[in-house]
Amino acid sequence: MGRRKKIVQQCERLMDRPENIRNIAIAAHVDHGKTTLTDNLLAGAGMISDETAGQQLMMDTEEDEQERGITIDAANVSMTHEYGENNHLINLIDTPGHVDFGGDVTRAMRAVDGALVVVDAVEGAMPQTETVVRQALREGVKPALFINKVDRLISELQEGPEEMQRRLLNVINDVNELIRGMTQDMDDVDDWTVSVEEGTVAFGSALYKWGVSMPSMQETGMDFGEIIELEQAGKRRELSERTPLSNVVLDMVCEHFPNPIDAQPRRIPRVWRGDDSLDLAEGMQLVDDEGDLVMMVTDIGIDPHAGEIATGRVFSGTIEMGQELYVSGTAGTNRVQSVGIFMGGEREEVERVPAGNIAAVTGLRNAIAGSTVSSVEMTPFESIEHISEPVITKSVEAQSMDDLPKLIETLRQVSKEDPTIQITINEDTGEHLISGQGELHLEVITQRIERNQGIPVTTGEPIVVFREAIRGASDTVEGMSPNRHNRFYLHAEPLPEEIVEGIQRGEISMDIPELERREALQEAGMDKDTSQNVEHIHGTNILIDDTKGIQHLNETMELVIEGLEEALNDGPLAAEPVQGTLLRLEDARLHEDAIHRGPAQVIPATREAVHRALIDGRIALLEPIQDVRIDVPSEHMGPASGEIQGRRGRVDDMFQEGDLMVVEGVAPVEEMIGFSSDIRSATEGRASWNTENAGFQVMADNLQPDKIREIRERKGMKLELPPAVDYF
Amino acid sequence: MLTFVGLGLYDERSITIEGRDALADADRVFAEFYTSKLAGATTSDLEAFHDVDIEVRDRVGIERDPEPLFDAARDSSVAVLVAGDPMIATTHVDLRLRATEREIDTRVVHGTTAQTAASSLTGLQNYRFGKATTLPFAYGSGGVPESVLTTVSENHERGLHTLCYLDIEAEREAYMGADDAARRLASAFGEDERFDAGEETLAVAIARAGSPAPTVRADRLSVLSTTDFGDPLHLLVVPGDLHHVEADALEALAGAPEDLIGSYRVR
Repeated sequence: MGRRKKIVQQCERLMDRPENIRNIAIAAHVDHGKTTLTDNLLAGAGMISDETAGQQLMMDTEEDEQERGITIDAANVSMTHEYGENNHLINLIDTPGHVDFGGDVTRAMRAVDGALVVVDAVEGAMPQTETVVRQALREGVKPALFINKVDRLISELQEGPEEMQRRLLNVINDVNELIRGMTQDMDDVDDWTVSVEEGTVAFGSALYKWGVSMPSMQETGMDFGEIIELEQAGKRRELSERTPLSNVVLDMVCEHFPNPIDAQPRRIPRVWRGDDSLDLAEGMQLVDDEGDLVMMVTDIGIDPHAGEIATGRVFSGTIEMGQELYVSGTAGTNRVQSVGIFMGGEREEVERVPAGNIAAVTGLRNAIAGSTVSSVEMTPFESIEHISEPVITKSVEAQSMDDLPKLIETLRQVSKEDPTIQITINEDTGEHLISGQGELHLEVITQRIERNQGIPVTTGEPIVVFREAIRGASDTVEGMSPNRHNRFYLHAEPLPEEIVEGIQRGEISMDIPELERREALQEAGMDKDTSQNVEHIHGTNILIDDTKGIQHLNETMELVIEGLEEALNDGPLAAEPVQGTLLRLEDARLHEDAIHRGPAQVIPATREAVHRALIDGRIALLEPIQDVRIDVPSEHMGPASGEIQGRRGRVDDMFQEGDLMVVEGVAPVEEMIGFSSDIRSATEGRASWNTENAGFQVMADNLQPDKIREIRERKGMKLELPPAVDYF
Repeated sequence: MLTFVGLGLYDERSITIEGRDALADADRVFAEFYTSKLAGATTSDLEAFHDVDIEVRDRVGIERDPEPLFDAARDSSVAVLVAGDPMIATTHVDLRLRATEREIDTRVVHGTTAQTAASSLTGLQNYRFGKATTLPFAYGSGGVPESVLTTVSENHERGLHTLCYLDIEAEREAYMGADDAARRLASAFGEDERFDAGEETLAVAIARAGSPAPTVRADRLSVLSTTDFGDPLHLLVVPGDLHHVEADALEALAGAPEDLIGSYRVR
């Protein structure tokens, strides 16, 4: 029997002992070494050979990942590890570090109970570190810290023990500050800050496969001084033999991360908003493998032979072949064709996967990343939150007309696998738009379409996604139906930032119980009466029904909402989505007879009212902006900061860090297109940089008219603005 | 001058003589057929019969862009042709008001209309009808709008009849049949405690009123819903209490089953 087969069998035995299971994710800034760390852990667990760990990049299964040397999709592996008296089953989800792939990170966090945060000792905590730690904590996932690349402190930077200690403490303090900030208001967790003394921090080198923590030092008797000596002497093999990284890290995982039995009672109320008196709620909290089956899908992958594979956390019950399961948001049931667990890039079929584990399932054809799959119909897990909205769009066309149906099918598939991708299929123009988190994100997706599906495509220039938002409150305006028998009176005002953020985080939504929604709104600053009259939420806009006792309004509301959504999807300036608006329906006059207030009447009336209110609230065009950080040798600092300033950007800070200068600032996403090649030539390739989407910002007034005109022209709209827009 | 001319119920011959004269005098003739239409005549039939050119305007051309019509009416004589009686499909009152705002003289020439035909053909007496309503093809999530059910049940409580106009969708040439309407009401009544008789409720289907061969049939909703009433247009009446002459008329003129009628008779 092969070693691999043996491990699968061990895993199968351990699956039924939730107290010995740890579901974890590794999360870090790009290039801080988490994929290398993962390989180390796998090698330690006997899954790949020691020699190749570090080069094999086991988790980077897609060709483009290995080519680019960065991880794109979250992949999954299971392994076993002896700790204390017991063997443990560790289900590990790897997550991408590049910001363009943030949606995958958020989804992975829902499936796990512990997050191993990896930080590069030289670079320290970076913006993306902060993002992933936030994502973890928001999902109620407990953090622990691994500080990587400590070998570079010793060998490259020649730091002494004191210098090193100071640097490492700084990293720990930065991470703790973040944890403290996020958890102080969470009453379901204790102190989650990490500390060396507690053993929730480990140090080491994933490349040279050694690591230490306070408990490991006590066990092996090795102190920092000895490590520095061995590292300086280049005796890395000895170092990794005496204090192997995988043992140190996996021990930390087993000791400090909660098992499903400890985690689920706390996490279920945080991530699931259904009725907690139901049997299935109890099943989930108790990790009952005999309860109703509940699985949350975090990822959809494609296997050339088996087809679509839904991967997710089983919270309750046991998933087995042949089960007929409900998939949230779709009708009917899907039949489970096979179940399995992941070992590296490969799926191993097993007979059953009980509660507390990560399962890989085929046959769930209706599932998308984020679906709730269950044996009884139930309230789904709240929609997984994506803070990151798409900011860049590209058109995609098949080079050959024959490929068109296949392309449409593939695009649908892509958006199923990655919900941060939005696909717009325009039947009129035949132009398909694909929107995502950044240039790289879209580039990767289109390359996959070409390579995996063999469809040659032509892509357009990347186009930035704009938004429209009002700058002040409007007067009450009237919208009239074409037959003039129905009138709607609307008022618009900007939504406070706290409420918009609440909606983006999914804390304020029409999918949660009304009482909770009211509370969340009031907490975010909305007055009580208004919070009770919320009729609809669309994007980050809220409709309030302030009317009282208007006959027939109830049965007309559906059409009002339809008109409102149309008006908000296509704002009055440039048909870009409207954000952050509170719309109050103050009054309505409706015709007695349903036929005279049908869709052809009510939808245009509401649309007109919404647009008028928005224009009266001085609606403006918003553009997406990015935080930019450039690390560059000081002699290239001038050209580097020039690259930000020359892009309508703003440099906020410049400071020295180690031997490099850091330039921090913000710039519009539109101007950042092509930044990579420009910064390379401006700094002779010496700069490393990082960008992160930072929301939308009102475009300067003097740039608005031209930009609006340009977008209207591109969209084939009339060039004249609505007559009431007279403020530009 | 803007003259609204009712074309009457069925074909090119349903117009009144006064209406025919008004047409003959008009410099330009417009027509709209999206609120209702003549089932027995096409626009060219009308043009041939009256020897005029007719400019047909769609919903947008009447509701959103009526200016060409007003422009013409400012200094010439314009006729607007509408099936039935021109002010019964409510939108045209609005058109008349807008013309008046522009100081254009207006006039109405009546036509026969479904409302009186429903009385005339069924024997149900005009003064015993309550509020009328329209059954739409699709409304929001579909089904029968609550306002329709409220109207029928309130009329019922007061012993009054309800005339149900049936939706037409001019663009796709769809006309709701009385069988379809009966099916919708049967299923809505069946789930609503305000309607004791549920799908057994008495109703009267009227097809092709104003034509040489109209059909009138009184029966349970469940029966009407499986009956083919032939070409459009159709109407449906849900009777309230029946005066004895009304009951006799439904039996004699509309073939109402005796056992069903019994319970509706006022004694």
